[in-house]
Amino acid sequence: MPAEPLELLMAGTAEHDLTTLEGYRAVGGYAALAKARAMEPQAVIDEITAATIRGRGGAGFPMGRKASLLAKDRGPVYLVVNADESEPGAFKDRDVMRFTPHRLIEGCLITAHGIESRSVFVYIRGEYLHEFEVLRRALAEAREAGLLGDVTIVLHRGAGAYICGEETALLESLEGRRGQPRPRPPFPPVVGLYGRPTQINNVSTIALVPKVIELGAEEFAKIGVPSAPGTAVFSISGNVARPGNYERPLGIPLRELVYDVAGGIAGGRRLKAVIPGGSSVPVLTPEELDTPMDYDSIQAAGSFFGSAAIIVVDDRCCMVQLALRAAQFYMHESCGKCTPCRVGTRWLVQLLTKIEEGRGAPADLDLLDDVCERMLGKSLCALGDFAVYPVSSYLRKYRDEFEAHVELGRCPFGGESSLEGIVAPVEQHVHALPADAGVPEAAPL
Amino acid sequence: MSVELVTVTVDDRRVQVPKGTGLVEAAQAAGIEIPVFCYEPRLGPPIGACRMCLVEIEGIPKLQAGCTLTVQEGMVVRTAQTSAKAAEGQEATLEFILVNHPLDCPVCDKGGECPLQDLTFRYGPGATRMRFRKLTFDKPIPLSPLIALDRERCILCYRCTRFSEEVAEDGQLVARNRGARSEIATFEDVPYRAPFTGNVIELCPVGALTSTLYRFEGRPWDTQEVPTVCAACPVGCNVTATIREGKVKRILSRNHPEIDRGWLCDKGRFTYPYLRAGDRITAPLRRGPRGLAETTWEEALDAAEELLREAGAGTVTALSGSETTEIAYALGRLLRVGLGAHSAVLPEATSDALEAFRLPLSAIAEAELVVVVGDDPVVERAPIVDLWLREARRRGAEIAVFGPTGTHPLGPGGAAEACRRLADPGHELGRRLRAAERAVLIWSGPGGGGGARVAELAHALGFEGKPGCGAFHLPASPNARGVAMAWAAAADEDEAEVEHVRLLFVSGDDAASDPAVRALAERADATIVVTMFHGLAAGWADLILPATGWLEREGTSMNLEGRLQRLRRAVLPPCPDELGWISELAARFGVEVSPYAALVYEEVAARLFRDLSLAELGLRAPLPARKPYAAPPPATTPASQPAAPAEEEPFLGTLRLLRYRPLFSGPAVERVPELQFQRPAREVALSEADAERRGIVSGDRVLLRSNGTSVELRARVDRALVEGVARVAEEHALDLHAEVEVVKA
Repeated sequence: MPAEPLELLMAGTAEHDLTTLEGYRAVGGYAALAKARAMEPQAVIDEITAATIRGRGGAGFPMGRKASLLAKDRGPVYLVVNADESEPGAFKDRDVMRFTPHRLIEGCLITAHGIESRSVFVYIRGEYLHEFEVLRRALAEAREAGLLGDVTIVLHRGAGAYICGEETALLESLEGRRGQPRPRPPFPPVVGLYGRPTQINNVSTIALVPKVIELGAEEFAKIGVPSAPGTAVFSISGNVARPGNYERPLGIPLRELVYDVAGGIAGGRRLKAVIPGGSSVPVLTPEELDTPMDYDSIQAAGSFFGSAAIIVVDDRCCMVQLALRAAQFYMHESCGKCTPCRVGTRWLVQLLTKIEEGRGAPADLDLLDDVCERMLGKSLCALGDFAVYPVSSYLRKYRDEFEAHVELGRCPFGGESSLEGIVAPVEQHVHALPADAGVPEAAPL
Repeated sequence: MSVELVTVTVDDRRVQVPKGTGLVEAAQAAGIEIPVFCYEPRLGPPIGACRMCLVEIEGIPKLQAGCTLTVQEGMVVRTAQTSAKAAEGQEATLEFILVNHPLDCPVCDKGGECPLQDLTFRYGPGATRMRFRKLTFDKPIPLSPLIALDRERCILCYRCTRFSEEVAEDGQLVARNRGARSEIATFEDVPYRAPFTGNVIELCPVGALTSTLYRFEGRPWDTQEVPTVCAACPVGCNVTATIREGKVKRILSRNHPEIDRGWLCDKGRFTYPYLRAGDRITAPLRRGPRGLAETTWEEALDAAEELLREAGAGTVTALSGSETTEIAYALGRLLRVGLGAHSAVLPEATSDALEAFRLPLSAIAEAELVVVVGDDPVVERAPIVDLWLREARRRGAEIAVFGPTGTHPLGPGGAAEACRRLADPGHELGRRLRAAERAVLIWSGPGGGGGARVAELAHALGFEGKPGCGAFHLPASPNARGVAMAWAAAADEDEAEVEHVRLLFVSGDDAASDPAVRALAERADATIVVTMFHGLAAGWADLILPATGWLEREGTSMNLEGRLQRLRRAVLPPCPDELGWISELAARFGVEVSPYAALVYEEVAARLFRDLSLAELGLRAPLPARKPYAAPPPATTPASQPAAPAEEEPFLGTLRLLRYRPLFSGPAVERVPELQFQRPAREVALSEADAERRGIVSGDRVLLRSNGTSVELRARVDRALVEGVARVAEEHALDLHAEVEVVKA
């Protein structure tokens, strides 16, 4: 039986204009804030902890546990909202901010009360100009209505770097420095923004907080699965009949999302692959389609829940070309700080280009696999791994396609054009590619 | 105070280290190397960028960057020695680093002393699997006239940018672009111009940053390294001179952790080519009917003897303060004992009173409160002290600067008065100085009785009893204390006034370029000048004897801490050295002076340093203990009051000319073409108010006029500068008087 389209994050957005304070109040908005402010701060955190809200940004770390790690001393504590949604395939936070900005603001204020912070920073992806404007208007309304109390909420627009979605690079960028990750430990709850303890959460995580307070942890925990209660907004894109954002409880099988919710593969074509959590996670095959979409189940299947961005790929797509596109993206977005990611991403692009253009030898497939293996787990932050997962998993699960490129001496799928409908045109993904991307092979020594 | 120890196991070796120790250091304590490129504790917190230090930690599935970890009790660490996973990780890192590295080791200056080469040899893959074209960049790019940047060799360890940002705080080196196209650059590609730029060359673990003076000049296997001490300023940084075929090829730091922490200023690092300047004097010159002409040493010594005999006790000696202690002592023996000529012009006042408040320079970094008084910025007089102050500030110390460009604005010459005020029990900052456990006073500028005034303040604040509190005086010359002490120790008689100067004996380039000494020469019957260069004394000396540079000298020098350090001869001078001919001349006057520095030192040490042996000075000289406080003689002239800005006629009012001697100035700097860009611009700094009153903005051409002399300079409005002052580098102030009129040209 298909899961009910139960909405927590997007509740009321179909019937009301929740971008206005009036509209949001009409659906009971800011009642949870009043309720939370009547509670002791620790009680708010206890409620969040009991509800087991797992981070919707990708890592799935429980929000309550994060809050419990905050170093306690006399100085200020900061709340930072990660709204730098940049993962190819992910567009959930965009809708949360666009359609229900007050829910995010209310979540910020409740969380700030819980962790006793007076300063909230929302780091919003630079390209989300419209969402920024919506959020800014909503914030002005909330401020005018006196809802902020002694809390200051700062909206900070990013400047177009994927890496700034990584929490410590985000903090660096917020501090006005070059957006590059910091070594951890120390983790942000101990040393975060401006050297102070900092709680960092994704937009969709924070926006769930009002519902937790409203329903109570016990009721909230009944939604979804016990290891990961609640709902997520699934961004379904690629070769499906009805791409878009769909909020569903966690634990909904992937098959249901692809076929029932998003209308299945358009044009009666055959499903080839599903990328369950944004372009950075390992691919799943049609055989793995019955995996429930929650953190632990997806991980057990060898992939990650990630940002709940499901990219559906049908049989027209060339997996080498798709891997190349992903690799190009991560090469372009590698910040350059640590060696494996900076160098490895470029090497992957060179190897994949060679294979895609039909110049590859069988040994190149092994080398590709080995370069992936050597990058994996060696980088300063997760970007180095993100660059590897698509390449290594496509190679492992669709090796016959890679081999076909080598044997035929060309791409059997028509190259670039095979990605139509799956990912945006290359210019949008990687802007102007560096002139040397995929340079020809040097003469053998 | 007992330190809490933790026990860690590295490659099955158990080792106890203090809590908070970094993993790299803990492994070192266990005798195990964790290889690194980006890690350098002197550059602030670790950044974990290069990934060379990957190790396996029991209980953590992923490999960890060892440099970013501090040891925890019971930690079990496996390095590449015992963990196949860690070994694979390190090999992977090296493979990645080498993917784009040009491997041009045969023509790279770093070859043979390159950490990348060494670590590749020890941990790296034997062959490359990279068959694509490597990344290429334009190269070499001049980062400045002194530093060449090869971006292909660069492995992006960010040591140089961290030095620029977090140590020197000049904020000029940055990383540009992203990913594989990341590159080191200065903002908008302007030359890297700052006092400490050369350190990035030594920090670079590959051949990406090279010295333009050393490029292609030598390989490590055909050079010798001589440990000596820089005598370009009173700090006395410990250095190594690289020698090839009898020539100095470069100067490297030799890290004395209490003095320089391994940093050098560009003056100390890059001025050595002055030794081979075109106008270096290598033979004596004697004035004859056709002017100065080269002469033989025999004739020169005969001439000197004759001049000295004629003048006898009517000889006055002008000392530079850059002589070794031994040269000053030997001169004293010759002139004072041999001739009875006890009159000397010393380069500056010195005071023993500071010995009661002695601290190593490194103590500045530990201080909670530092007060700097005086007319000159610290960096111009004793550059490394500026780095210590910056570190103190980063660690949270308060730095109060009383001076014309300080946090507490003060007119020129106001420092002594500031000291008096701080000694007042009612003064707020003075009270905090009294209460502080770790406070440092620094006198940075002329005057002050060679440190006497700041010693009085330290005494008034009760610093004797507090081991964390101390005081420094930053002299203008490198060995002013040592020279004064040695000259005084050479004979027992008191100095006598000489009414008629029959002979002026000028020792060294600093004395020769001192206007007061030149004025004295005009009154003298004859003049002997010991100098390295033709230009300095050609117009006024009767006899010129060639001098040697500090890299050519054996001997000792006393730095501003009062620490006696040993200079070692790195290269032979192109002429007999001072001790050689002093010894010979002295013999003619019946005085025995050894031509060997070590023997002269023994004599000096017996009189001044309680027989401290050269061996005890060692390679890194110790700091002598504090001595009881002896009140210095009081100030002979009342402290001058800062001139009040002229209020009644603001447009016509004159400004006080504040001359300063820039770090990058002097005969040596002038003789190194690559250093010219570091010299001060031809400009005058004016306060905002003074500039506004005169309708002057930064960049305007202005005239400075006094008593019929005028100099045209470019104006720079300095918001930190106190009112009523026109600040000009000495070399641009020429013979302007103390009060100048400043108008738009």
